Amino acid sequence: MDGRRTSHWWTFWGVLILAWAAFPLLWMVSLAFKSPATFRSSSGFWPKEWTWENFQTVFRDELFTSALRNSFGISIIATLLSVIIAMFAAYAIARLDFRGKKLLLSMALAIAMFPQAALVGPLFNMWRGLGIYDTWIGLIIPYLTFALPLSIWTMSAFFRQIPWEMEQAAQVDGATAWQAFRKVIVPLAAPGVFTTAILTFFFCWNEFLLAASLTSTNRARTVPAALSFFTGASQFESPVTAVMAASVVVTIPVVVLVLLFQRRIVAGLTSGAVKG
Amino acid sequence: MERSGGRRRPRRSVVAAAALALLAPLVLLGCGGGSGGLPTLTWYINPDNGGQATLAQQCSDQSGGAYRLRTEVLPNDATAQREQLIRRLAAGDSSVDLMSLDPVFVAEFANAGYLEPITDPQAAQQLTDGVLPAPLQTAYWKDQLVAAPFWANTQLLWYRKAVARAAGVDPTTNELTWDQMIDIAEAQQKLIGATGNRYEGYVVWINALISGAGGQILEDTEAGDEARPTVASPAGDRAADIIGRLARSPAAAPDLSTATEEEVRSTFQSDRGAFMVNWPYVYQAARTAVESGALTQDAFDDIGWARYPRTDPGTPSAPPLGGIDLGIGAFSKHKAEALDAVKCITSVQHNAQYMVEAGNPAARAAAYDDPAVRDAFPMADLIRQSLADAAPRPITPYYGDVSSSIQRVWHPPSSVRAPQTPEETDSYMSDVLSGKRLL
Amino acid sequence: MTVIETPAAAQVAKEATGGAGEPPVSDRLRHERRLGWRLSAPAFVVMILVTAYPLGYALVLSLFKYRLTDPGARKFVGLQNYLTVLTDPIWWSSFVTTAVITLASVAVELVLGFGFAWVMFRILRGRSLVRTAILVPYGIITVVSAFIWRYAFQLDSGFVNQWFGLGDMNWFGDRWSSLFVITLSEIWKTTPFISLLLLAGLVQVPEELLEAARVDGATAWQRLWKVVLPNMKAAIMVAVLFRTLDAWRIFDNPFIMTAGANDTETLSILAYRQNVTLVNLGAGSSVSVLLFLTVVLIAFVFIKGFKTDLSQVRGDR
Repeated sequence: MDGRRTSHWWTFWGVLILAWAAFPLLWMVSLAFKSPATFRSSSGFWPKEWTWENFQTVFRDELFTSALRNSFGISIIATLLSVIIAMFAAYAIARLDFRGKKLLLSMALAIAMFPQAALVGPLFNMWRGLGIYDTWIGLIIPYLTFALPLSIWTMSAFFRQIPWEMEQAAQVDGATAWQAFRKVIVPLAAPGVFTTAILTFFFCWNEFLLAASLTSTNRARTVPAALSFFTGASQFESPVTAVMAASVVVTIPVVVLVLLFQRRIVAGLTSGAVKG
Repeated sequence: MERSGGRRRPRRSVVAAAALALLAPLVLLGCGGGSGGLPTLTWYINPDNGGQATLAQQCSDQSGGAYRLRTEVLPNDATAQREQLIRRLAAGDSSVDLMSLDPVFVAEFANAGYLEPITDPQAAQQLTDGVLPAPLQTAYWKDQLVAAPFWANTQLLWYRKAVARAAGVDPTTNELTWDQMIDIAEAQQKLIGATGNRYEGYVVWINALISGAGGQILEDTEAGDEARPTVASPAGDRAADIIGRLARSPAAAPDLSTATEEEVRSTFQSDRGAFMVNWPYVYQAARTAVESGALTQDAFDDIGWARYPRTDPGTPSAPPLGGIDLGIGAFSKHKAEALDAVKCITSVQHNAQYMVEAGNPAARAAAYDDPAVRDAFPMADLIRQSLADAAPRPITPYYGDVSSSIQRVWHPPSSVRAPQTPEETDSYMSDVLSGKRLL
Repeated sequence: MTVIETPAAAQVAKEATGGAGEPPVSDRLRHERRLGWRLSAPAFVVMILVTAYPLGYALVLSLFKYRLTDPGARKFVGLQNYLTVLTDPIWWSSFVTTAVITLASVAVELVLGFGFAWVMFRILRGRSLVRTAILVPYGIITVVSAFIWRYAFQLDSGFVNQWFGLGDMNWFGDRWSSLFVITLSEIWKTTPFISLLLLAGLVQVPEELLEAARVDGATAWQRLWKVVLPNMKAAIMVAVLFRTLDAWRIFDNPFIMTAGANDTETLSILAYRQNVTLVNLGAGSSVSVLLFLTVVLIAFVFIKGFKTDLSQVRGDR
């Protein structure tokens, strides 16, 4: 009896959390469906008339479509590279005994705390010197750097939980450390790698400061930067509803990933500490 | 990862090869572009409703295969446009063939050597012929033509006829002052809209008020960072009086300190709107609002226009000057073609066409006589007159610093007081220009 | 951004590696070391390339008076830029703004995040639904979150004033109300992260201890303060450290909402504006270097002063 009542209470609080998370999203959807001509004068929460106009606007706008392309491309490539590089490092950390380990971990920590804003000036100057300003690679490189700590930690935590005796068994059977890594550990590590990839992707998908400073055209501008530079029909009109429509579009991948991989993401963020 | 280069032991080369394999296509991708054959010019444009893209198409066609114009859109606000262009040009980017430049930044770009001067007298004659005086002034730096006025903008006073009638004034005499406007709005419990957000549009307002009292923001502008701020003057004090009075009055729009052009228009179109100062695009925008049902036909018919309000009762106003000048990138590989394109884009005929299509006023006087223009803009003559008498913002390579220091000291509008605000502006601005203070 | 490694997991790992102390064949050890270096070399290179080198470059630039658009006027000025920045009210105003946002958001998030973690820990029905919901703010683009909240509080088109009968309240017209909205968006977006970290700590609290306390007649409040929180100390400190440093770098929310108007400029925006908007690379670089130093200082205070045990984060054995 008591237990059931408590359980109802937890459900109640759970519903509150749901509302807390969902409410701003509803506002975003509502604004995205309001008419750009009348949204200022009709300030209710929901649109009086629902319209697809804003979505048509953003998909007609090359600023947005190319930003989507850039965002997907840059985020996916940076994620892939980061996961690959981090995988080697995480293996070394979880498995091998070498002097650089402490240095590597401390450095990852330092970079996770690093204020990116301190880099925009020098990076901009270096990139224009190297000719990679406003290119994909110019964003991928710093994204790689700032995603690496996250990738290394998440993955090394996952790697630690792998039953290493299997690797040792393989080594006893005559395999080298490399073969043991590739044949035994990679399949076991795949879920951890995948989770790391999702978290890293979120990071790259979200990044704004570097994207705003190191790009200037549709060639490499990603979605967050494009949103902040979104322009209205004329120089002075502010495209509030179109920005929200674009926001809805770019939130969809996040929601899909979260829906599909909720358990993995939670496990990744808490590094396997949550059981059940 | 499937590349098993080292069977016996891992090799650094495997890692390197994997990384290279993944990066290689990107490098190629990054460096692509630049097709052979006819030169493709990139024109960096400020956002509009597609009018510049149309002109790009028309001029490409008219060139008879000499060049093709491709447009690349810049961000919405003038400061951000400058930021994007400077970053490209500082990187020596040859892809900037043509740029739509806010006139206030022409001096800075020219001084930094980012703009190709137009030295050929015949070309200069063609580009400046019949251009209204105020916009023309902005295209020169150190007596050299460095840009071509494309279109020019100015603000008008927009008023509700009902409000003016009730107050018994006729704004079309062009003698209405800011103080009168505030009195009327206060008496009728209505609102006045002006752009008081901390951005470039606020400086437009401040400069118009100071110029309207015969003052100016800066002297010796060609001295660069040694120019002398002159805001602390009777004219600066008048401007501060007006802004402070309005901001602290119930007649100020509640969002005055965050209002940009669209918020101002929104206030003006609401039931409480009485006056606003704004660019002519608002007329077309209001017409669109009627079509979509956001504004009633009655309210639309109630909108009147007149010359920018006076700062001093005895001095004609100095309307703000905006617009776009076209600059040719100093690092462009196609400067001759770019110059031809500028000539085509800024022709009288295209000026008129652009004014009708995009709603942005022409830089050349003759365009205002075009029947289509007069049809779309019942106030065409007023715009032309305002542009002729308009006062540009200071023409200095340090305009960004000048503007930002004014924005910082004068924001929020309700904190503005004479003579403190103008005095602070001068000392702050000179400190900023000499590198003693941050912005 | 971070990962908490549980003692249990570390234990497993330690056991699994089996007798680390037992002396292996020296040849194999050397091989292992070389392999370790080789495997981590790419990570080292990428991390140093993009942080240490530019930072050194910024250090050099910060000693010059140098504006990109006026390259002719470049000259060496020594530490003058630092003096200018540190005596300028703008730096200190940004400093205070950043500190206020950081303190307010971390404090609220800690309490709220703990509540969320507790609910997620105890809830039976819909547990995965709640966890899914909470991940959406975590994954959403910060710029999007900033726009959502900005438009919600907007005077003419938002619903907040209407719902709460605030009339013509202009939220972005004043420093403190702007900071309120900025902090709100920050809290909405990042509480999930902190709550998941705390959840990880929460599940480590031995259930037997809680049960024993309950049997001894401890109230729920006493159990929280005497049993739960002390056992979560490491997780809490790590979560606070990471969130503090993350909040200290805040850029997206204020940039989108106010662009720094009404004294809402944060240190990151200041650095961005000096370097990117004004292309004032000399003074801008000194702001960058100083920003970096503040971060080092905060980390130092946490690690030495509060004895935050980072071996759990770093994954040292």
